Amino acid sequence: MTLRTSRKPRLLGLAAIAASAALVLSACSSSPAEDAEAKPEAGSTVSITDNYGTVDVPVNPKTVVALDNHVFETLTEWDVKLAAAPKGIMGSVWPGYTDNEDVVDIGSHREPNLEAIVAAQPDLIIAGYRFGDSYEDIKKQNPDSVVIDIAPREGEDLMTELKRGNTILGQIFDHEDEAEATNEKLDDAIAGAKKAYNGTDTVMAVNTSGGKIGYLAPGVGRSVGPVFGALGLVPALEVEGASSDHQGDDISVEAIAASNPEWIIALDRDASFAPEEREEGSAPAAELIAGSEALKNVPAVTKGNIIYLDANFYLTEDIHAYTELFEQIQAAFAAA
Amino acid sequence: MNVNSTSAGNGGEGTPARESGRPRVRPVTPRASIDSALPDAGDEIAPEKRARVWPLALATLVVVGLLAASLFIGVYDITDGDLGAEMMWITRVPRTVALMLAGAAMAASGLVMQMLTQNRFVDATTSGTTEWASLGLLLTAIVAPSVGLVGRMVVSSLFAFIGAMAFMLILRRIVIRSTLVVPLIGIMLGAVISALTTFLAVQFNLLQMVGTWFMGSFTSVVRGRYEVLWIVAIVTLLVFLLADRITVAGLGREVATSVGMRYETILIAGTALVAVAAGVTTVVVGFLPFLGLVVPNVVATLRGDNVRSNLPWVCLGGIALVTVCDIIGRTIRMPFEIPVSMVLGMVGAVVFITILMRGRSRA
Repeated sequence: MTLRTSRKPRLLGLAAIAASAALVLSACSSSPAEDAEAKPEAGSTVSITDNYGTVDVPVNPKTVVALDNHVFETLTEWDVKLAAAPKGIMGSVWPGYTDNEDVVDIGSHREPNLEAIVAAQPDLIIAGYRFGDSYEDIKKQNPDSVVIDIAPREGEDLMTELKRGNTILGQIFDHEDEAEATNEKLDDAIAGAKKAYNGTDTVMAVNTSGGKIGYLAPGVGRSVGPVFGALGLVPALEVEGASSDHQGDDISVEAIAASNPEWIIALDRDASFAPEEREEGSAPAAELIAGSEALKNVPAVTKGNIIYLDANFYLTEDIHAYTELFEQIQAAFAAA
Repeated sequence: MNVNSTSAGNGGEGTPARESGRPRVRPVTPRASIDSALPDAGDEIAPEKRARVWPLALATLVVVGLLAASLFIGVYDITDGDLGAEMMWITRVPRTVALMLAGAAMAASGLVMQMLTQNRFVDATTSGTTEWASLGLLLTAIVAPSVGLVGRMVVSSLFAFIGAMAFMLILRRIVIRSTLVVPLIGIMLGAVISALTTFLAVQFNLLQMVGTWFMGSFTSVVRGRYEVLWIVAIVTLLVFLLADRITVAGLGREVATSVGMRYETILIAGTALVAVAAGVTTVVVGFLPFLGLVVPNVVATLRGDNVRSNLPWVCLGGIALVTVCDIIGRTIRMPFEIPVSMVLGMVGAVVFITILMRGRSRA
C-alpha cells in the first residue's frame, strides 16, 4: 500500500519530466526553423551605435517596445506597431498608441511597470530618456531582446543628437530616406529661422507652471535652451550656473522686466496635461506674461513678440517638434 | 515617579473611556492630575511680567526696518522712471504685505496649536494640517478645476480643519503623550496624507505642478494675485481677541472647565483659525515650514506662556523671520530667487533641533 502510493508519484514525475523534455526539444527544434524563415524577409540585422556602444539590431523587428518620447512621432509616421508604451507620459499626442488596447501600458517613468515589457517578449526595446534610470534593469530583465538608447545625450548639441536618433530609427525600420528628409527639414527650419532673425534682438526663454515663471537658461535650459545656440540668439539675461532642470530658475516678473527682452519664448508646462479643463491658479503662460502689469512696458509684450510653444512640446521634444518650433520662430521673426 | 503615575493614570483612563464610547465625560479627576503632572504644563508658565513698552517698540522698529528693506530690495531699479515707481506698487508692496500677513498668521496659528495641544513641538506643519490643506487643493484641481481661487481656499481650509481635528482626536486617544510623541504622530499623519496627495498627483499627471504649487515662495506675489491673503489678517485679529481664552485652554480641559470656560468651543474655534490660516497660505504662497514652530518657541523661551502678552512678539517674530528668509532667498542668487520655504526649512531645522536638544538637557 505504502509502496504503491510512493511509487505512483515517482512514475508521474518521470512522465512529467519526459513530457517537458519533449516539449523543450520540440520548442528548440521549431524556433530556429521559424527564425530561418523570418530572417530573410526581415533583412537580417543592422549595426548601429547607440548611447552605450555598438548594437546589432534586427531590421524591422516584429515586436517593438518604445519608452522614449522622442521616437513616437516618427514611429507613428512609419506605421510601426508597438507592443507596449508608457501611456502615462504620452498625453493625448499619440492616440494611435495610447487609445489602442493592444498596446500594453507601462505607466510612467516614476512607477514603471517593467514586467509588462518582459511579458511582451519584444525583439527591440527603445529605452532611455525618461526611462534612462531603468536602462540596466530593462537590459537585465530582457536578455533575449535588443535594448537600445538613442535619446539625445547631455552635453552634446541637441540638434545633432536628434538627427542621429532619427537616422538610427531610419536604419532599423528601413525608412532611411524618410529619416534623411526629416533631418533636412530640421536643418532647413533652423536656417530659415536664423535668416529671419535680425541678430540683435534680445530673447528670453521661460516656462510657466502652477502660476509661477521659471527662467530657462540659454543652452542648458529645458526644451528652449538649445534654441539659443542653434539660432545664435542674443539672450536678454545671462547668468552663470543657471539650472538645467525641468523647472528652470525661480524668476520674478521684476527680473524679466529689468532684462527688457525683445522676444519671449514661453513653454507652458501645465498645458500638455488637461488643456481644456485648466486649473486657474496655474494661469496659462499668456496670462502670466502678456497679462502681467510688471511686464507691460517690455518690448516683447508691447510688440506682441511672444512665441508660445506647442502645448505638447513638453511631451514630444522630438525632431518634428523642434522643426515646427523653428518654423514658428521664423514666421514670428519674419512678421515682426 | 512622575512618569509612572502619568502613564498609569492615563492607562486607567483610556480603557473605561473606550468601553463607554464617551471619552469626554468620565475621567474628570484623573485628567486634572495628569495635566499638572505633565512636565510642560507646569514649569513653563511664568507669571506675567509688567514688561515695559520700549522692548516691543524697539522690536517693532526692527521689523519695520526689515519691511522697508524688503520694499527696496529687488532686481528692478525702482528709481528708473515712471514704471520704476509703479513697480513699487506692482510687486514690492504686495510682496511685503504678503510677507507680513503670512508671517504673522502662521506664527500666531503655531502658537495657538501649541497651546491647544499643550505641546511645544506642534504647528501646522508638524500636525499634518498643511498636508491636509494641500490634499484639498489638489482635489479641487482634479474634481473642480474651474472653481476659482476662493473656492479652492474654502476647500483647502476645510481639509485643513478636518486634518487638525483628526490630529486632536488622535491625541486624545493616545496614552503616552510625551513631548516628542505628539509631533511625531502629527508628522506621521502628515506623511500619510502627503503620500496620498503624491499618489493622486502621479495618477493625474499633476506631480510637477503640485511641486511648484506647494513650494512656499513669494516670487509670484504681485498686485492682483495676493489680495486674498488679507483673510489671514482677520485670523490673526481673532487670535488676539481669543488670546486669554486660548491661554486658559492651554492649561487643560479641567482647569478651563473649572473656571467656567467652554473648552470644546475654544478648541474648535482655535483649530478652525489655524485651518483657515494654513489653507489660505498654502493656496497663495505654499508651505512655510517651521515658521509656526520656531517663532512661538523662541518667544516662549524668552517670555513664558501668556498668549496675550506673547502674541505681539510672536507676530513680529513671524514677520521678521519670513521677511529675513525671503530677503536672503532673493539676494543670494540674484536675479533668480530661492523659494522662501527652502531658506525657512534650513533655518527652521537648525532652530528646531536646538530647541529639541535644550529641552532634552533640561528634562
